[in-house]
Amino acid sequence: MAQVNVLSVCGSGTVTSSMVASKVKEFLEEHGYSVATTEARPTEALNLAQSGRFDFITFTSPLQSGDYGMPTVNAFACLTGVGEDEFFAEIEKIARELKR
Amino acid sequence: MDLGLIELDLAAETSRDVIAVLGEKMLENGYVKNSYIDAVIEREKNLPTGLDLGNFSVAIPHTNAEHVISSHIAIAVLRRPVVFYSMINQTEKLQVDLVLLLAINDPEGQVCLLKKLMGIFQNKVLLQKIKAAKEKQEIVELLGTVAL
Repeated sequence: MAQVNVLSVCGSGTVTSSMVASKVKEFLEEHGYSVATTEARPTEALNLAQSGRFDFITFTSPLQSGDYGMPTVNAFACLTGVGEDEFFAEIEKIARELKR
Repeated sequence: MDLGLIELDLAAETSRDVIAVLGEKMLENGYVKNSYIDAVIEREKNLPTGLDLGNFSVAIPHTNAEHVISSHIAIAVLRRPVVFYSMINQTEKLQVDLVLLLAINDPEGQVCLLKKLMGIFQNKVLLQKIKAAKEKQEIVELLGTVAL
């Protein structure tokens, strides 16, 4: 089963990032992936991205500018439910295109 | 769900006021530490929590778990809309008339509570009913209908 490592970012690295992480995990698991999620604040995100441990990032608070070296997806739609289908379509696409 | 944590028809001028009123209730009940209210206000300044849901907006102010003793949600239906800034676009002002103040002690362990919360603010019909509630008990019942 393909493994996907998701970094979920929000302001406090707790509430909304956990919400998004759990929905993304559920969604990808339904599509046959094995998923690990980590929550973080925007200030920690760049360092974590450069650790090489993650495949893509979802965020509900804006990320600081920098080279994250991986897809970053605005997860606001996932949080509010408005435009959610497009969000999940993008997540699915990213997961599918991950090089192993 | 604690009726003491629901405010109907709250008159407030600023987001700070709303947070302070709801935060006081949490503090009185021993759910949060003394540092909580300031931490939420500070966080809201830097990383706002307004959510634009299309035809109306809510806010979900909160702060890190270290300021929280036990997890609770306080709800305020506002008499007049108050400005909160958008979570995803921090210069965008939103007119918010429903605020959910969150105290989350253990996000990892409380995924169910968080999912329930998402169920609440993703459900516009439910939110409209909450806004229109005349009695606190109505809100308690409405929240009870949200699946975990």
